[in-house]
Amino acid sequence: MAKLKLASYWAAACGGCDVAILDTHEKILDIAAAADIVFWPIATDFKYADVEAMPDGHIDVTLFHGAVRNSENEHLAHLLRAKSKVLVAFGTCAHLGGIPGLANLFDRKAIFKCVYHDTQSTVNPDGVEPQTKTQMPEGELTLPEFYDTVMPLDHLVEVDYYVPGCPPTPKQIWAVVQAIVSGQLPPKGSVVGASEKTQCDECKLKKNEKKITSFKRIATAQPEHETCYLEQGFLCLGPVTRGGCDTRCQLSGVPCRGCYGPPPGVLDQGAKAVSAIASVIEAKDEAEIGRILAEIPDALRSLNRFGIPASLLRRKTL
Amino acid sequence: MRRISIDPITRLEGHGKIEIFLGDDGSVSNCYFQVPELRGFEKFVEGMPIEEVPRVVSRICGV
Amino acid sequence: MTFEPKIMGILCNWCSYTGADLAGTARIKYAPNVRVVRVMCSGRVDPTFVLKAFAEGADGVLVAGCHPGDCHYIEGNYKTMRRMALFKKMLADYGIEPGRFRLEWVSASEGDRWAKVVNQITEEVRKLGPAKLRAPRRKKIPA
Repeated sequence: MAKLKLASYWAAACGGCDVAILDTHEKILDIAAAADIVFWPIATDFKYADVEAMPDGHIDVTLFHGAVRNSENEHLAHLLRAKSKVLVAFGTCAHLGGIPGLANLFDRKAIFKCVYHDTQSTVNPDGVEPQTKTQMPEGELTLPEFYDTVMPLDHLVEVDYYVPGCPPTPKQIWAVVQAIVSGQLPPKGSVVGASEKTQCDECKLKKNEKKITSFKRIATAQPEHETCYLEQGFLCLGPVTRGGCDTRCQLSGVPCRGCYGPPPGVLDQGAKAVSAIASVIEAKDEAEIGRILAEIPDALRSLNRFGIPASLLRRKTL
Repeated sequence: MRRISIDPITRLEGHGKIEIFLGDDGSVSNCYFQVPELRGFEKFVEGMPIEEVPRVVSRICGV
Repeated sequence: MTFEPKIMGILCNWCSYTGADLAGTARIKYAPNVRVVRVMCSGRVDPTFVLKAFAEGADGVLVAGCHPGDCHYIEGNYKTMRRMALFKKMLADYGIEPGRFRLEWVSASEGDRWAKVVNQITEEVRKLGPAKLRAPRRKKIPA
């Protein structure tokens, strides 16, 4: 069987998805045996020009991770879509926008002001900011355009499969690779490498009845690690998050923050989180409800930590 | 003047590009290193509860 | 030309929809800007509906239910109360002016009150202007 031509690209990413692929440990040899890597910046020396020179559809599978933050990311999204038979939005950033999506509460101007001027460790007396074109004595230098809004991959191109997770677990990555190699994939547009149910379905913590009378923060209160965190009043997005990660956060002593994205059928993970969590609050009086909800600081970033760009409103209106 | 572009730089974590300008005699007359990425963590953690920040800033680098 | 707000109303069948109906049969004149969708109980209203309305071009959204204690399904509107209270915090974080979203209790006999509520939200949203929350998909032809 001919080897699969495989590419992996990072947009506004952290490298964690690449490391997760490497965390398949000895299985990486099986992946190398089944696939020829034709573009993978963290591990190989192929350049953008090499990809541009490929015929369309040359790459069998591209794993695209990282969110789309600037014009270079956008260019690669379109380029890799054209050059790939199968394009996978790999990891939460490509799937939903991810952590870089939190920048959608701000815009380019506010971010540049902070990063290049206001931060305490910045020394920039001439107030220099990155420009898309800079004329130097030898020639013109260019940088990508920084957009106001972060986007998940499917806001720009047709995505064939989504592999959720920040990062996807090595176990799931191996399952996805095996599915690709054996040709046993579900219909295009599906989420793969994850469960069709929520985190609660696989969570081993003891569940009783949820009747929240106050919310607690792990900064000021100690959770019990045998019982459901939400029941104890610690915000956990398990009920509105797709399973498949073996509840790695819950087993590590912290509540779920939703990186595997919304369960099937849910359009907006943050909205569903509001619905689910408010439903189990025990209060019938407006004043009491207000008092309890005041204990949830930072509503949007707590209830939709990873998916603001993919949410219905996509960003804060400024 | 000849120009060599290395785009992207590879086999490390992060995005970068290098532009090398060579004089007529083939020696390097100037070389520029550019970082074409920015995500803005410094800004978007403003106002977050402090105990949530470690789980966010750990995504600055996954290596 | 004055701006005419497009406001979506989600009304519960037993109290608020009936109250709105009464405003009609009583021939009360009021602003025509609220487009009404009927649900069986305000407790059915998922915050997703409200966000989808804004994302599809609504300038304002009004959710109406039975007065607390009067819910046809006993507890439904308490759920509404809790959900919408938390949802308002999320809306504020999205930068949406509080005047664009309202939760009101309207009973089956309160035709007058329905008309007043509609007039109030219409004027408030008119002052705020178009919401401009509709986000087009961008699919550029590759260069």
